[in-house]
Order: sequence, then structure tokens, then C-alpha cells
Amino acid sequence: MSKEKIIIKTKNLNLWYDDNHALIDVNLNMQPNKVTALIGPSGCGKSTLIRCFNRMNDVITGCKIKGQVEYHGENIYGPKVDAVEIRKKIGMVFQKPNPFPKSIYENIAYGPRVQGMNNKKKLDKIVEKSLKDAALWEEVKDRLNDSAMGLSGGQQQRLCIARSLAIEPEIILMDEPCSSLDPIATAKIEDLINELKKNYTVIIVTHNMQQAARVSDYTAYMYLGKMIEYGKTKQIFEKPKEDLTEKYITGRFG
Amino acid sequence: MVEKFHDELKQVKKEVEKMGCLSKDMLQKSIEALKDRDSKKAKWVITQRVKLADFDDDIEKKTFRLIALYQPMAKDMRTIACILKLITYLARIGRYGKDIAKITEEISSKPHVKKLVSIPHMSDIVCSMIDDALKTFDDEDLTRFNDFIDREVTVDELRYSIFRECLSYMMEDPKVIRRCTDYVMVARYLERCGDHACKMAEKITYMITGERVEIDCREETSKACFTGVKIDEQ
Repeated sequence: MSKEKIIIKTKNLNLWYDDNHALIDVNLNMQPNKVTALIGPSGCGKSTLIRCFNRMNDVITGCKIKGQVEYHGENIYGPKVDAVEIRKKIGMVFQKPNPFPKSIYENIAYGPRVQGMNNKKKLDKIVEKSLKDAALWEEVKDRLNDSAMGLSGGQQQRLCIARSLAIEPEIILMDEPCSSLDPIATAKIEDLINELKKNYTVIIVTHNMQQAARVSDYTAYMYLGKMIEYGKTKQIFEKPKEDLTEKYITGRFG
Repeated sequence: MVEKFHDELKQVKKEVEKMGCLSKDMLQKSIEALKDRDSKKAKWVITQRVKLADFDDDIEKKTFRLIALYQPMAKDMRTIACILKLITYLARIGRYGKDIAKITEEISSKPHVKKLVSIPHMSDIVCSMIDDALKTFDDEDLTRFNDFIDREVTVDELRYSIFRECLSYMMEDPKVIRRCTDYVMVARYLERCGDHACKMAEKITYMITGERVEIDCREETSKACFTGVKIDEQ
């Protein structure tokens, strides 16, 4: 029963950047169709952890990983696993919106095209569906061939989400997706996260505690590379078990 | 910014304590005034009503401001939630004091049916509960709540014994009916104040531990109620 319900599981995950021990024995089970928020002070390993989930740390020299990250029960760091395949299933959205300097349409169609999709009708459908899922369709449907760089920051970020949705991932990783957006664009992304969890699993790194409390079902608090507390968001923010968590979320830290 | 928030929260807590002292004073003094038929003291209690309402409004405004500006979490949030509840209970307690003082004003010209013993005794217990709640709000020593349920039971029993006593006087002499009804009302007010003190203890416990507990002696199985009953455990 429990095996079906867990989409990502880390087992004694350790990570070093050269001599810097950045993640220490992280054990975590994440459930599908839930939003999990990672919180913690800067440098605590949140982004490092989220990058482990789609092997984005592979490209960093001096980075060494021990332990396991299981995706549907399979270790994604196993010898036969293709990192590109993993990243198809586990998409990512970054802190700053980074659209390609192409048209809105091409931004979304890029992923499916790379995968060999050339049928114009099917591509049109994918573009429309992805933009609708990212709550951007209504705003851009009449100017799909305009440059994506002409969109506002909030729209660009939703475009990036749409782009990650186009290849139909199962999990979406978001590394501070709202930190460069204004409150209204932030609210839109938050509404979107709420919608997305019907079909996807979302893992979000955020520095905004209220945002974590608003959008997530589960919250993990990290400090100095360790997982200090992981539990239901309601419990973490109303009655944290660990003193360190309490100190961090009430701002009595350091 | 965070330090500022905690300073401001501390200030608001102090004001809650001040408001608590005032409302306890109003209740205590109203009973003293009743016992001694002291209409001057009763008047003082009545005039304090405005001050009490000001405390209520002022603290409420400040807590709303804190919520809006800082979006508190965990214990800070529980403290603010507790404060908002406490001021309501404290305002009610103070107003019961005012109601008792009004009764005192009306009846102070004539002597009591007999020397008042049970009512002041009841008041002492209730005031000790309010006092302990306020002290715990400040120093977070929860052991003071261990015997709250016993005190609450005593207060309830006193109320019924006052009622029965008054009933017998009224049957003996219909002329004291008016007066005895007042005593019954006062006993009823005091009992309500005891209930409010228990609710305060519940909220303060929640503030300190995050556990929701119930102090309730109305149930037959009363005795075990505090010290263990947790509600809303998920």
C-alpha cells in the first residue's frame, strides 16, 4: 500500500561539493499529487536537495553523491539510468524566468520537438493544453508568435511552467518560483500550484514562510544540510515538534 | 523587524495583563461593595467599564495590526490567538462585576437578609482562578491549572447551595424575594466568571503547548477532564 503512494524517496542521501558536506543523511518520502515545500535558511541545502531529484547536480564538478533517490522505487542514480529520461519525467522551474529567445509557441513546442514530435496539429494541441494548464492561455492566445521576451515577469514564469508541462512530467520541481515576481503574479503562480497538484506532484523551495503555509500539503524544514523536521504543513506551522523549526519559523533564529 | 515584532507582542501581552488586573479588580471590588453595602465602591466599579472597553478595543486593534504586518507563525500565532480570546473573556468578567455593582447600588440602602458568607467565598475562588490564569499567561507555569477543575466544581456547588439557601428564605418570608433573587443572580454571574477563567486556562494551555484541552465539569465524568483530554488531535 505504502509503496504505491510514495513517488520519491530518499535513503540516507549525502552530497558533497568537494569537501563541503552539503546534504547529510536525508531521508524523505514524498507522496504523489501533493505539494511539498522545502524551507530553511540560505545555504541549508534546499536547492541542492531539489536538484538531486532530477540529477541537475550531475553537471557540477566536484559534486559527489552517496545514498539513494528512488523514483517509483527505482534509484535514479543507478548505473543504467539515463538522466535525460529522468528529467523528462521530473521537470523544473527556476528562480528567474528563463524563456528561450523565441516565440511563445516555440518555447512550448521546443521540448516535444526535441523528442521527435513534428505533427503540427498535435503540437498545436500540446501548446494549447500546456498554456491552459499554466493559466496563461487566455492572456497569450492571440499572440502565440510574439517573442516570449515581451511577456511580463509573471507571464514568463508561467510560460516556463507551461514549457515544463509540455513534455508531460509527473513531478514539477520549483526552486523559488515567485522570488522575482510581484504579489499579483505570485498569487497567480500559487493558484496555479493548487491546480497543478490534481495532475502533478509539486516540490517547491521557498523562502516565504507564508507561501509555504499557503500552498503546500507537506513541509520539510532543513538546516545545515540536515532534514530537521518533515510533516504536515498545518502541524509544522501551528505546532512544530522541533525547537529549531519553531525558532526558524517565528524568526527567532541565529 | 522580527525583534520589533517580538517587542510589540511583549507590549501587547503586558496590556492584556493590565486588562486582566482591571477586570479581576472590578469583580472583586463589586463583591466587596455588595458585602459591605458600599455604594461608593460600587460606583467606582461602574465607572471602570469604559476603561475596560477601551482596553478591549485597543488590544484587538494592536493584534490585528501584528497579524497584518508580520504574519506570525507557530507559538507567536498561538499567542495572538490566545490574546484575542482572553480579552473577550476578561471583558465579560469585568462586565459581570459591573452588573453586580449595579445590583449593589440598588440594594445598598437596606441591610442584608443575613451576613453574606458564601458569595464572598465564591468570589475568592473565582478571583484566584483569574489570577492564576493571568500569572500563567505571563510565566507559563502550567502546574497552576492542575486543580482548576476542583475549584470549578466547588464554585458550581456553591452556586447551587446559595440557590437552595435563598429558596428557603423566600419560602419563609415573601418580602425577601426581591433581595434573594439578586443573590441568586450574583451567584450565577460568579459561576459564569469561573467558567470564563477555565476557558482562559484552556486557551493559555494551547498557547504554551499547542494542545487543545478541555476543562469542563458539567459532564458527570468530570474529574478526569483536565490533565489529559486532548481534542482535535490529528
